[in-house]
Amino acid sequence: MNLKKQFMEGLLTQNPVLVQVLGMCSTMAITTSFFNGLGMGVAVIVILTLSNVIIAAIRKIIPNKIRIAMFIVVIAGFVTMVDLLIQAFVPDLASSLGVFIPLIVVNCIILGRAESFSYKNGIGASFFDGIFQGIGYTVVLLIMCIIREFLGAGTFGGGLLGPDGKGITILPSQFPAGMLTLPVGGFLVLGCLIAAMQWALARPKKNKEESK
Amino acid sequence: MSNEVKTKEKVDMDPKYIITLTVTLFVTCVIVAGLLGLVNQVTAPNIAAINKEKTETAMKAVVADPEGSTFSDALEITEEMNAAASAAGGSVTEAYEVQAGGAAAGYAIKVVASGSQGNIEMMVGVDAEGTVTGVSVVDSSETAGIGTKVTENEPLASGVGVLEQFIGKSAADGTLTVGTNVEAITGATVSTRGVTTGVNTALAVAGVMG
Repeated sequence: MNLKKQFMEGLLTQNPVLVQVLGMCSTMAITTSFFNGLGMGVAVIVILTLSNVIIAAIRKIIPNKIRIAMFIVVIAGFVTMVDLLIQAFVPDLASSLGVFIPLIVVNCIILGRAESFSYKNGIGASFFDGIFQGIGYTVVLLIMCIIREFLGAGTFGGGLLGPDGKGITILPSQFPAGMLTLPVGGFLVLGCLIAAMQWALARPKKNKEESK
Repeated sequence: MSNEVKTKEKVDMDPKYIITLTVTLFVTCVIVAGLLGLVNQVTAPNIAAINKEKTETAMKAVVADPEGSTFSDALEITEEMNAAASAAGGSVTEAYEVQAGGAAAGYAIKVVASGSQGNIEMMVGVDAEGTVTGVSVVDSSETAGIGTKVTENEPLASGVGVLEQFIGKSAADGTLTVGTNVEAITGATVSTRGVTTGVNTALAVAGVMG
């Protein structure tokens, strides 16, 4: 019951990107191909879940005054570990995500969840919160990747599928608008997604108010 | 307001509390650092191997005879080489001697030049006569879909790859310049200029090395 609520929060009503508007930097920067989005999403799920669990586990011994510093130490530790592991075992991903893996340290989703959720809740709940919030982030990244890649490069599954891993070409090469893979395209797509999300979230509420 | 006052009081009155804070944070940092050390021990050899392989692949891509060539360990970068590189507008980071069939066959030189979005790191092969045998981009942050046309060696209007056009050029051609003896990819002139600077740098460095 509670799990279902947490799941819905992570994916929809409290979606980290579209509702809480956190983690904008990485969302803009890396959503240019499917492989990037997936890799970043998985990295964030892993780091968020681990740091949530550890912070929930030690929340009773964290003095209130230095909690942010403690969170950052824990988060930075996990990020560096994941960064090293990716460099060692998935070098392709490391070279395409570049500096954005170490920058997960300052991704506000993770610090935000530590402060607002795992510092106040148990280990189990924090574990699922990490997974669900991470999935919420990943889903948005993937949607943005698919839209930007399709409109900007005319392909699907870039970095993963198709010949040379360059993606399956859907649009002939004269149609794609290269602009969509630039930062400006990121802002446009994200703006549309947030607008759509707000519209979708606001709708049932209005209905209820009207019915009252 | 009341919150602020409370905070101040607590810190002022209790040195034990401050020590608790310090010790907790210190212990956490030590534990995290220890764990990182462990992970690093596992991954460091792997990362080193991957980097070495990347460098070898990049060097193989720029020599005339990829199969028959072997490479020395990284050579020492001298003051002279640095001076020649910066006079040509770039900088040199690594240099290797290329050997083909037991004889010295020139150098593979890793240079950095600035492109449109940041540094372009590239490997340039120069043979014993001072002629470019190949250019490949190792790392760059050029704009996806525009500048990457240059780094991925897309063909120019004439059909020759943008990086391939440097093959056969030498110091005898004078300073390579986009528009005169180098063709640019439409829309990616700045990135093309970047790689051109890189090639000039490598030729200058090779000239100093002799």
